[in-house]
Amino acid sequence: MAESASIVNLRRYRLIRNAVFVWLTLVVLGAFLLRIPRIHILEHTARNLYFHVPMWFTLMAAALVSAYHSLRYLQSGDPIRDLRAREAARVGIVFGLLGLATGIVWARFTWYLGTSLWWNFDPKQSFVVIQLLIYGAYFVLRSAVEDPEKRGRVAAVYNLFAFVTMPFLLYVLPRQMESLHPGAEGNPAFSDITHPIMRLVFYPAVLGFIGLFWVLYTQRVRLALLERRLEMRKATMLEAKS
Amino acid sequence: MKAWLRGFWAVFEKDIKLELRARYAINMLLLFALGALVVMAFAVGPTPLSARVQAALLWTVLLFAAAVGLGRAFISEEERGTMLLLQLNLRPGAVYAGKLLVNFVLLLALNLVAVGAFAVLLRVQVAWPGLLALTLVLGSIGLAGATTLLSALIARAAGGRGALLSVLLFPVLVPLLLSAVEATRSALLVAEGWAAATDELLTLVGFGGAVITAAVLLFDYIWLD
Repeated sequence: MAESASIVNLRRYRLIRNAVFVWLTLVVLGAFLLRIPRIHILEHTARNLYFHVPMWFTLMAAALVSAYHSLRYLQSGDPIRDLRAREAARVGIVFGLLGLATGIVWARFTWYLGTSLWWNFDPKQSFVVIQLLIYGAYFVLRSAVEDPEKRGRVAAVYNLFAFVTMPFLLYVLPRQMESLHPGAEGNPAFSDITHPIMRLVFYPAVLGFIGLFWVLYTQRVRLALLERRLEMRKATMLEAKS
Repeated sequence: MKAWLRGFWAVFEKDIKLELRARYAINMLLLFALGALVVMAFAVGPTPLSARVQAALLWTVLLFAAAVGLGRAFISEEERGTMLLLQLNLRPGAVYAGKLLVNFVLLLALNLVAVGAFAVLLRVQVAWPGLLALTLVLGSIGLAGATTLLSALIARAAGGRGALLSVLLFPVLVPLLLSAVEATRSALLVAEGWAAATDELLTLVGFGGAVITAAVLLFDYIWLD
């Protein structure tokens, strides 16, 4: 087992963290204060665009990061890769849940207005649910294995295996379910229906939330690494005692 | 290559022989599926069901039966203490392929029985039997591919905890389930048929291929210590 040395440049980390906080504060202010065109039914809920859509982008980024580190873990066996894959998945779950929650509420009061529907099998919503189920299964699997090295290997294999099925999901779901999302079949593309001022906030919001993911993720990775070192030190101390 | 093929065939032959001797896995698989179908048929009662619902019920039963019945392929090796022999003597790919074929054969037997019972109990009219058969075969390939890898994973790591397999399996198999249900629905309706199911069949082929390729690549990492 290769031991990783210090993994992050703290100065760079603090710089990026502060930048992300300032950036996101500006994004949130812009999201609520800038005037947007009023569209019937959508009205002010259109502002949810700045929060709901970036969550989805961030989930995808987290899934990519997690799968990448799982692959590298299988190649190298370096425990830090396992920690990275785990923490990316964990933070990804949070963003996925937030994206799902903002999406469900938004859909209920715009798309399904006048009905009592909360859920109508939108392909993108369904995709997120399945992705969350996969990560749920990933953590259940992790908790079932005691030996850390074996746990890392098994979890990495499952993560990659699930990752392979994702493109099929993205292809199959829209064929079977109607989507009301922009850009889906027969719907106008995203860039045609958003006012320039909304795009001015939206793109920075995407960047900002991915930045927030990065901050949380690296933080958790360092925490996990410290916990691991502490445990190892405890183990050697116990050994020395006996 | 020759050694690989011989190893693959030896694993397959051994498992089929053991299975014919004890008939545990196949009996459990069939009785689970029959039991589930009977429970479902009685719960539904004589209400006529749409083709979509019939297809959905059939595939739900097949999926659950596979998750319950196919998990034993590697656990039985662990119990008999023969895991080490396989690891020493054979390439990982040959072991995976042998077990995959065993599971596939078991699934084909399951399909035969389950579809027969299903047609009688739920009063299904099959308009395109060839299409239904092809859908079941293609679906079984993907199902066997995923189940074999994941059951190896559980047997090697988690000491074979039964319910874990379904937790891991179901989210991964959603694309297969959706395409297979859609193709089965087309096979039941006179107005639909082959032309309506082409895309679903291709998806099933692609899914099976991708799952088995990924499984072969990943199997090495769980098989070797």
